[in-house]
Amino acid sequence: MASEWRERIEAFCCSPSGFLCGSNSDSFLSELLRELRDDRLSYGLKVLLLVPLCEHPFLLCSSESAGEETALDLMSVFLQCPPRSQQFRCHLLVALTSVLICSSCAGSRSRASLDFLDLLLQVAQDTSDHHGDSSPLCLRNTAAECLREMEASCPGLLSQRLELLGGLRQQETSRLHQAYAGLQVLVLRNAVLHLTKESGAGAAQLKALLGGPSCADQDVFQMDANDPAVQASLVLGPMGRVPTLPTGPDCKELRSVLSSLLEESYLLSPLCQAALLHRLIEVVAMAPGIPPAIFRAQLLRLLGTNQVALLHVTLLMKCAFTDSLFSAEDEAFLLKRLLVLSQHPVLSASERLFYMDCILHFPENRPISCGDSDEALPVLLTPQLASILLPTVLNDSATLLARLHLQALVFLEDGEEEGGGGLAYIYDLLGALLHMVDRGGSRDLVVTFFRAAFLFLLYFHHVERYSARLSQQLCQLYLQHPLLAPHILNLADRTQDHLPESDWAVGLLQGLQRAITGAPGGQLTLPDLSCHLKVLSRAAEEGNISPCSTLRFLSAVFTSSLLCSGGNWCLGNGVLGVCRRVLLHPSLDSLFGPLADVLLHLACNYGDSDIQDHARLYFSLLTTLSREKLSAVLQGAAEGQVKKRALSCVMAESEGLTNALSVHQTDRAVLRLMEAGPGPLQEADADEDVGDGAVQRYRSQFSQTGFASLVPLRYRLTLMEPHQPLFEQLFSIRLHFRLTDHHYHPLPDASVPLLHRQRPPPELTLTLQPRRPHPTTIRVGAIFTAKDGLTWHSDMPDLHVAFQQTFLPLPVPSTWSRASRVAVFEALWEEAESEAGVWAVSLFCCQLGEAHLKALLQTHFLPFLLSDSSLEDGFRVLWFLPPRSHVLLKISREDDATLFKMATDDRQLLPHINDYLLEVTSTAAIRQLGSEPEHRS
Amino acid sequence: MSLRALWIISHEKGENASVRFSRRFATVEHRYKSLSGSSYVSVPEDRNFLQLLLTELGLSRSNKNFVAARDDCLYRPRSPAVELCLDGKKTLWPVLALSQGPLILACLPLVDIPSESRPPLASLLSVSQGLTLLAGLQAFLFSSGGKLDSEGLVARVAALPSLLLQICPLGTPLDIPLVGTPATPTGPTSAVNQKQPPWKTGLHRGRATVNVAVVETVRSMQFGDQSRQDLWDVYGTVTCKCEVEGVLPNVTVTLSLPHNGSPLQDILVHPCVTSLDLSILTASSLDNADGSAFSGPYKFPFSPPLEPFRLCSYTSQVPVPPILGSYQLKEEENSLRVNVSLKLHESVKNSFEFCEALLPFFNRNQMGNVDVKVSSGQVDVTKEKNRLIWALGQKFPKSREVTLEGKITFSGSSQGPSHPLCTGLTAYIELHLKVPDTTLSGCSVDQHSVQVYSSAKPKIITSRELQSKDYFIWNSTGPAPISSGQMMT
Repeated sequence: MASEWRERIEAFCCSPSGFLCGSNSDSFLSELLRELRDDRLSYGLKVLLLVPLCEHPFLLCSSESAGEETALDLMSVFLQCPPRSQQFRCHLLVALTSVLICSSCAGSRSRASLDFLDLLLQVAQDTSDHHGDSSPLCLRNTAAECLREMEASCPGLLSQRLELLGGLRQQETSRLHQAYAGLQVLVLRNAVLHLTKESGAGAAQLKALLGGPSCADQDVFQMDANDPAVQASLVLGPMGRVPTLPTGPDCKELRSVLSSLLEESYLLSPLCQAALLHRLIEVVAMAPGIPPAIFRAQLLRLLGTNQVALLHVTLLMKCAFTDSLFSAEDEAFLLKRLLVLSQHPVLSASERLFYMDCILHFPENRPISCGDSDEALPVLLTPQLASILLPTVLNDSATLLARLHLQALVFLEDGEEEGGGGLAYIYDLLGALLHMVDRGGSRDLVVTFFRAAFLFLLYFHHVERYSARLSQQLCQLYLQHPLLAPHILNLADRTQDHLPESDWAVGLLQGLQRAITGAPGGQLTLPDLSCHLKVLSRAAEEGNISPCSTLRFLSAVFTSSLLCSGGNWCLGNGVLGVCRRVLLHPSLDSLFGPLADVLLHLACNYGDSDIQDHARLYFSLLTTLSREKLSAVLQGAAEGQVKKRALSCVMAESEGLTNALSVHQTDRAVLRLMEAGPGPLQEADADEDVGDGAVQRYRSQFSQTGFASLVPLRYRLTLMEPHQPLFEQLFSIRLHFRLTDHHYHPLPDASVPLLHRQRPPPELTLTLQPRRPHPTTIRVGAIFTAKDGLTWHSDMPDLHVAFQQTFLPLPVPSTWSRASRVAVFEALWEEAESEAGVWAVSLFCCQLGEAHLKALLQTHFLPFLLSDSSLEDGFRVLWFLPPRSHVLLKISREDDATLFKMATDDRQLLPHINDYLLEVTSTAAIRQLGSEPEHRS
Repeated sequence: MSLRALWIISHEKGENASVRFSRRFATVEHRYKSLSGSSYVSVPEDRNFLQLLLTELGLSRSNKNFVAARDDCLYRPRSPAVELCLDGKKTLWPVLALSQGPLILACLPLVDIPSESRPPLASLLSVSQGLTLLAGLQAFLFSSGGKLDSEGLVARVAALPSLLLQICPLGTPLDIPLVGTPATPTGPTSAVNQKQPPWKTGLHRGRATVNVAVVETVRSMQFGDQSRQDLWDVYGTVTCKCEVEGVLPNVTVTLSLPHNGSPLQDILVHPCVTSLDLSILTASSLDNADGSAFSGPYKFPFSPPLEPFRLCSYTSQVPVPPILGSYQLKEEENSLRVNVSLKLHESVKNSFEFCEALLPFFNRNQMGNVDVKVSSGQVDVTKEKNRLIWALGQKFPKSREVTLEGKITFSGSSQGPSHPLCTGLTAYIELHLKVPDTTLSGCSVDQHSVQVYSSAKPKIITSRELQSKDYFIWNSTGPAPISSGQMMT
């Protein structure tokens, strides 16, 4: 039980959508709630059961009413839970908070959420159980956190309780004062923010809010929680506008609350302290009556801290208050501090990188730029100061790149490109990296080098002496290491994208072309050659680079060597790729002869017929079509319509290859299996009378292996709503079934050739082979090909096989007469009444009118009906349940009641039979028949 | 100021990666939905997240030469916050990721600034909060001395739900886990009306003991070349363990420098320090120290936790490195002629706990014949035959100078280790040393200067120590890998 739940919860958390695709979220939720109320379960397991509610309440309680009901359920679990299981109670509070907030109950102040708020306040104030045991502390701490979260998500919820919360914080001496401080300051911030939005609110309202006796009759604030402005940070800097509250200079009460919070802020953990200060900054920014100098006493402590969160909040403070709190000296000091921290040996790498980011967004007292996401250097940052952050090859790659970026900005600002040591330093660094790559550096190093090169070009591409040299060095590097081709081409592409005015990338490609075609071609290896072809193909895309030398190279390599006759298909495609680019080249006219030679040579001599065919095609295109038509044809082909996706085309556009060859996952279920009605009833010839030995002959059939062991179930395969155009036609569908229990033998896969939205859904029959009769659930997945030509995998909704679906009529030869069948029934019934050991006999009663009974027999029991009511004690119904169980029913009417006498040779079936009879005779099932049955069992 | 989700991932160099723990904070997600409006991007399921993060960190498909999603040269500031590209042009940002050994810890801070464009990282307090929490969790998961055994990890991951219930129940981090065995938590006695700080997990009873240790670390990069300036720096940390009675006891530690000592710079202090003097903070390594600068005494009043903690750290500019070395290699046919001299500066105490010089040789065959003479100490060849270890013992000779001379042939049959920097004659010596009871800056804590405001007379223990880290002496006959300017971090 426990392990099964553990697995289910794990499966849910791993992929909630996949999990819920297979089962119903409502039933999962009710299962969870039922288990939570079960006293036999351990609290450890119950904590686990709360995880889905804590983490994914959106999925389980999607509506407000569902959230409300779930919350009421959870609250009753909380109230019944003994006080000693504190951990579970804490988790329950968290789950309740998540459910109420995420189902919007808290936002709409629903009954349950107000009850929960009272419960939280009660727990938070409950100091009675306090015997030095940390558990109640833990519960109160969680309650305070839940209150804070409720207030954060529904601003204004607790505004009326501000005085109470302030009192709680001040009285508390345990570590809890920290939680209360966070709660109080948030409620205060939201309340002040609310007042700023009230017209005419001022000092008096503020005073009332902070604990005047009049506050009791104030309305609970109803701020719109969906207004992002309420929840967003108000630390906006000098360019942003913070709403303000016109209080005048007289706001003693507020000032005293703020001072008291600030005084004790030192006693908070750095994380809570930073959060508290952030909220206080917001409050002071909204209340012009409070001078920012109120923070001054904390500043030195904050500036000297080793805690990233505390220094960060100090920067935010500077951003909010600029020179009203920070003098010019403070600013210079803070900048130096950031520079020092960006390379301080005792800090972690990520902290140092974060500080470096802070330098690029330094909150200046008088900022020049107003863009809020632009990176800009602080005015005070001189190259000399920045030199503390010069990158070296000994840095890790993230640090190296971040420093390089910073230095590039510094040198650019300083006009370094005119000459000066800085740029030379960076270029030397690039050279050192290149040298390391040349010596066979790791993949990480290679990537770092190319990123550094890109950064350098981004800022200094116009400094000819360096950019030209870099291009040269890259060409040399390439010749040594042709496998770097994808990196180099990527660099060329990126520089072209980001520096459209620069022709550096074209220069590089030209250099590469020259290097490749000019190198002695003697010892070309196959991998090198295919890299070269990639580079040449890219170079041929550039109209400014003449492909003359490329064609000479191709002709030299492929006519004079064995490569052509070797017939390597991939290599052939590489060459064709280059040729195709040349076909599109603006100077094609002047290249006609050499290109035709290469294509003709390939068409006649290449050792692979596919390549020959393509070469011939290109040759005929070249020789017969005009320029315009040629480019129209080739460009159309390059766009890669699915229908034209010949494998060679796929190879040429190699990025499409993975796409075409991998199985894609649909983001939701596309297909489902719908139960099809039962097949036509077999009208038996029914004339063979078997006589007395009927039951013996019937029994003897079971000696054949596999006799009557299969349950055929008919389904229709349909598309799920809403329709997705991509999945309107599916081909080669293969269904895979997974059992969830051991009551059945595994099912083989099923194939359906085609599913079309406009055509009737295909039917298929699943043949279950039960080990024992039992309802079950089967997981189904489908793999199919969609219109886009790709292969998709989709999970399908689970198949639920109900108990009654496993019923078969009495398995006797179809020629047996009705009387013979009844004889078998009677013989078995007799057995049942005499041998109570194997057989179980039971009675089920309900109020069912004559007409309704007939209708019931007609709808549900017809295939299993052996006799009509002419027999003295009513209808005979027999269900055979493979592999060898029987259920016999005698149905008769007595006065108002209908009696179902039943006998079965598998007593474990009784509960299922009972459920089934209850179901078919239930109010809902009978409603259409007009009367309400009464059950007695 | 909150986090939307948290993950702990384990992997073996990018292989067999799995999400060991994940937590989504639904209420924060709810807030983010209303804050972000139409630009809302949901948190991917664990399986997808894992794949995306490994790709972004360059850990996936390590056998492939170039993977566009991983190796694109376009510069995006990748650290500490990375951006994950989801399907259909949406991106998940800012994902903070800390990677150490086989573990990656990641979280997704809430962006609480609604804006069209992406707000700067520096404007989101949740980022520094997330970094702090991740670093705290990292320390907790690695708490058995930086090593990670799988059983210990399983146990600690299993403890995370109840840990998070205390430190981050609903996505807003309140504190970081305490590392080390916490003292038995006791509630404050009712008589006390002082507020208990969160770092104080229990109360000490008994005699007060205060232990203060100053450890200085020296780093150096020496080139033995006139055109290239040698580099060195020193940083120190002061660690305390205070067993003192009371909820909020007051302790003051004073650091002092000798007369004419150069000032302590870039001082960072622990959050339990109650107040700081401006003069303590002003000295910065960015300024050229002049004689007028404040040079102590440095007073740190604080209210300590029970566990050991780092009270403060500083850097210092000392005029000379403790050991000045020269390293010269001369390439001869299949062998190297080696010439090393090390000179201990006269101001440094000649009494080591250990001192050894490592001479690794990369990108060469294994060593064959090693014929070296040393003026002091003892030379060993490592088992792998790619490194000399020159153990100098506890003392330099009276002349304070030692030398190593000789010839090494690389006639071994197999190739030694490779190194991207150390090719040709680019080679280094790395010094490892520890000197007890000394500091280079001269910084010390006088026993009598430690003040504890308590009834009984406390026991005070102070110590100091000098150690080395990244202490390199490059071969002066080959090109050194860095040109000039800044060194190390």
